[in-house]
Amino acid sequence: MSLLNTLVWWQWTLLGLVPVGIILLYFLKLRRQPLEVPSTYLWSRTIEDLHVNSIWQRLRRNLLLLLQILLVLLVAGALLRPGWRGVQLTGNRFVFAIDNSASMSAKDVPPNRLTAAKREATKLVDQMSSGDVGMVIAFSDTAQVVQTFSESRRALRRRIQQIQPSGRPTDVHEALRAASGLANPNYTRLQDEQAVDEAMPATLYLLSDGRFPPRRDFSLGNLEPVYLPIGTPGSRNVGIVAFSTDRNSEKPDQLQAFARVRNDSDQPATVDLELFLDGVSVDVAELTAPAKQSGGWTFDLPDLDESELKLVMTPADALDVDNTAYAVVNRPRPANVLVLTAGDTPLELALQTDEANKIAHVTIARPDRLKETAHQTQAEAGAYDLIVYDQCAPARMPAANTVFIDALPPGDQWRTTHPVGGRDIIDIDRVHPLTQLVDMDNVKIADAVRLQPPPGGTVLMDAAIGPVCAVAPRGNFEDVVLGFALVDARSGAPRANTTWPLRPSFPVFVLNVLRYLGGTHGVSNGTSVTPGKPVPLQVPSYVDQLSVEGPTGKRFTLDRQGQSSLVFTNTAQLGIYRVFEGASQTPTQRFAVNLLDEQESRIQPRADLMLGHETIRGTSHLRAIRRELWKWIALACLGVLMLEWYIYNRRLTPYRR
Amino acid sequence: MPSTDTTSSLLSPALVARLERLELVSRKIFRGRLKGERRSRRKGQSVEFADFRDYVPGDDLRFLDWNLYARLDKLFLKLFLEEEDLHFYALIDASVSMDFGDPAKLYFAKQLAAALGFIGLVRADRVKIEALGAARANPARALRGRRSLWQMLDYLAGITPQWNVPLADGVREFCLRNTGKGILVLITDLLDKSGYQQALRVLMAQRMDVYVVHVLSPEELHPEIQGDLRLVDCEDGDVAEITVSRPLLNRYRQTLDTFVNDARRFCTRRGIGYLMTSTEVPVEQIVSNYLRVRGLVR
Repeated sequence: MSLLNTLVWWQWTLLGLVPVGIILLYFLKLRRQPLEVPSTYLWSRTIEDLHVNSIWQRLRRNLLLLLQILLVLLVAGALLRPGWRGVQLTGNRFVFAIDNSASMSAKDVPPNRLTAAKREATKLVDQMSSGDVGMVIAFSDTAQVVQTFSESRRALRRRIQQIQPSGRPTDVHEALRAASGLANPNYTRLQDEQAVDEAMPATLYLLSDGRFPPRRDFSLGNLEPVYLPIGTPGSRNVGIVAFSTDRNSEKPDQLQAFARVRNDSDQPATVDLELFLDGVSVDVAELTAPAKQSGGWTFDLPDLDESELKLVMTPADALDVDNTAYAVVNRPRPANVLVLTAGDTPLELALQTDEANKIAHVTIARPDRLKETAHQTQAEAGAYDLIVYDQCAPARMPAANTVFIDALPPGDQWRTTHPVGGRDIIDIDRVHPLTQLVDMDNVKIADAVRLQPPPGGTVLMDAAIGPVCAVAPRGNFEDVVLGFALVDARSGAPRANTTWPLRPSFPVFVLNVLRYLGGTHGVSNGTSVTPGKPVPLQVPSYVDQLSVEGPTGKRFTLDRQGQSSLVFTNTAQLGIYRVFEGASQTPTQRFAVNLLDEQESRIQPRADLMLGHETIRGTSHLRAIRRELWKWIALACLGVLMLEWYIYNRRLTPYRR
Repeated sequence: MPSTDTTSSLLSPALVARLERLELVSRKIFRGRLKGERRSRRKGQSVEFADFRDYVPGDDLRFLDWNLYARLDKLFLKLFLEEEDLHFYALIDASVSMDFGDPAKLYFAKQLAAALGFIGLVRADRVKIEALGAARANPARALRGRRSLWQMLDYLAGITPQWNVPLADGVREFCLRNTGKGILVLITDLLDKSGYQQALRVLMAQRMDVYVVHVLSPEELHPEIQGDLRLVDCEDGDVAEITVSRPLLNRYRQTLDTFVNDARRFCTRRGIGYLMTSTEVPVEQIVSNYLRVRGLVR
C-alpha cells in the first residue's frame, strides 16, 4: 500500500477547511422545514429535556452532516491516490505449468521449490481478472492436466495446492504439447464457407527450475511463454548419478558396485558414501568430487546370490532424493532349453560345456516328442525359454524362442531356394549378439539352402548363394534359422555336413544362442529404472500371477494374460521392488528404481530456456504495475452522494394534514 | 332546509338503525323537568306497577290497594314507576387544533355528538349540543324529540374550527348559562397550553355526570415526520424546532403516554368518565362498544 500526493500544502489546507465549513454552515444555516402542527404542547415538553446536550445530540443524529463529512474524507482519500504494487497478467488465457520433478523437491527455497512454485502460481491466479481462464499442468517427464481451462479462481487455487512432488526426471515436451493443444489447434472449421483457424492465444507460465533438456523440435505458435525460475542461484548439491553392479571381468566370481557422484557446486565437495548390503552397513568411502565435475568409486563385494544394495551419501544437501541409490543382485535363473534332435553329437557336446551348464538347463529329446500332447501344451504355455529343432519342425510355433537347424518354421513366412553356388560363409553380422566373436573364415559347408527371412528379419551369415543364417522376430520371441545341417541324418547314416563343429567358433555361437535366446541376459545384475518407467517381468510357466512389493510395502498383483512377460508400471517410488511368484513368500526377482539423473541433480535454476528456436529469459518478477484504488473511492463517493440524496428526500416527507 | 349530505355523512342509515336501540344512561339521579320516556328511580305516576308500601297518613288515597285491604285488613299503598326526561349536553371543542387529522378531529367530534344526540332525541331526552366558546355567536338550542334531528344536524354543520378559547373559559361560560343537571360529554383533544384541569373542575362543580372523550389523530399518536423541522402551533403560532430522530420520537411517545395517563387518572379520581380514542376508530364502535362498557349508553 502506498500513497501518491497529488496536492500541494495550501491545497490540502483548503481541502481541510471544507469539513470545518460544512459543520459551521450546518449550525449557521440549518434550514428547517416549517410544519404546522395541531399543538406544539407535547413537542415542547418532549424536547425540553433534550436541550441539555443538544449540540452533541444534533451531531450524533444528523446523518446528512456525517455523510457530507464522509464524502469530503473520501475525496481527500482519493486525492492521495492510494494503490499497491500488483503484477499484470497479459492476455486472458493462462496456462500455469508447474514442474513437480525430482529437482523441485530441493530445499534451497524454504520449505521446498515445489511449494514456492505453487505459491507463485497462486499469486498469479489471484491477479486474474474476471473473464480470464486458466489451466494448471503439473509436469515432470510426463504432463498431467490437473485443471482444464476454468474461470473459477477457487478451483484453480485448489488444484494447484493438490500438486504433489514426484521423483521423476523432467521433460517439458509433454507439458508444452498439452498447453499448446488449445493455443495451436491442428483443426480448422468452416465459417461463412471459409476455413478459420480457431487459434486461441494463451500465455504459458512455466514455474520450473529449468532443468530439462532444451526442446528445439517444438513450435510455440500462439503460446506466449513466460518463464519464472524457481530456486536460488548458487545452491549446492552433490548427487549420486550412477550406481550399478557387475561382475569383475578379471575375476568372474566377484561382484563389484560402481558409484558415480556429481558435484554441482563451485567448490570441491567431499562426501561419505556408505554402502548397505541387505540393510547392514558393509563399506564406507570418502570421495572428493571436483567443482562442477563427478567422481567415482568402486566397491568390491563378495559373490552374492541375491541381495539388495543401498548407497547413502552424507552430508545432506539441498536435494535429498539423489543422496540415496539402490541396486539389486538377482540369482541368475538358468534358461530352460529343449533340443529336439535325431542325434547330433556336435550340438550335444557344445551344449554340455561348463559355461553352458551354468546358464542353461538343457533337455535333449527325440523329434517324436513333437507329437505328444503334453509337450504341445507345455510348449504353447511357454515352459521353455528356447527350443532347438534339429531337422524337424512343430505343427504350431511354441511360446518360446526357437532355433531351426536345416528346417523351417511352419507357415510361409520363411522361404528357401536351393541355387547353385558356393556355400562357404563369406560374411557375418559381427554386431549382433548371436554372432559376436564368431569366426567363420575356415568353415566348410557341404550343402546349404538360401534363406529368405520374413520382413523385419536380420541376416546373420551370408554365403555366395545368399543368406544362410537369419534371425527374425515373432511377437515377443525370436526365431533363428540355420540353412544348413550340422550332421545330415536324413539320408540314412549320420554324415557331417560342415566342418564348423571342429572350429572354436561353434561353441561360442552355441553359448551366444543360449545367452541371447535363453533370456537370462540383463536379469542377473538387476534392473534399475528411472521412476515412472515400465519394468518387464518374466513370468515362469508354473505361476499364474506375480505380485510386486514396493518400497513402502504396498503390494501390486499382476495376472498373467497368456504372455510370458508382464509389464509393471507403478514405479513412482524410489527404492527396491520385490517380485513374488504366486503365493510365494520369498522374492524371486528384485529391481531398483533410482533417480540417477544428472540433469535433476544439477539444481542450479537455469537463467533462460530454449523452447523451439526461442530463448526465453527467466523473469524474476512479472511486469509490475501500480494498482490504483482511487476509482473505487470515487465510486464510493458516488454511493455516499446517492445515499445522502435519498435521505435528504426522505426527510422532507410532508406532514399529513 | 337541512342538507341531506350532512346527515348522511354524519349519521349513516346503518348507524342510525343501530343507535335507535340504545339509550342514554346516567349514573346519577336527576329530576327531569318534563315527563319523558325514561323510567325514573323515583316512584310516581305511571301505568307501570313497581311496589307496595305501608300507608302512612297523608298519602294519596287514590293509590290505596283496596283489594289487599279487603283480604288482609291492612292499608297498602300501590307504587308506580315514574317516567321522566334526561338532560344531555354535548360540548364540542371547536378550536383550530381540532381541524387536524384525516378525518379531522372536529368532524369526528361532530359525528360522535350527532350519534349521542340522536340517541337522546329518540328517547325524548332534552339534548343540547354546543361548540365551546361559540355560545354568543351561534347559541345552541335545547332540542327534544326525533323531529329535532334536523335542527341538531344543522347546528353541527355550522360549527367551524375558529373558536380558540381556552378550555376553562369555554366551560365556565357554558356552566353559567346551563345550570341544569344531566349528562355532559366533552369532546376535545385536551391540547390546551393552560391545562385542562381547571375546565374539568368547573364541570365537577356543576354536579353533572361528566364524560370526557379525548380525541387524538393518528398523526399525533404516531407521528410520521422526518428531518429538521420547525413546528408551528396553528393556534398561537408557537414554534418548536426539532430534528426528528428515533430517540426523539420515542421520547415523544413517552410524553404522550404520560399526558394521556395523567388525564385518565385526573378524571377517574373525580368520577369523570374518560375515553381516549383515535379518529381512526369508527364512531359506531365507540358508541356501541366503548361507551357502552363505560355505562353512558345501554
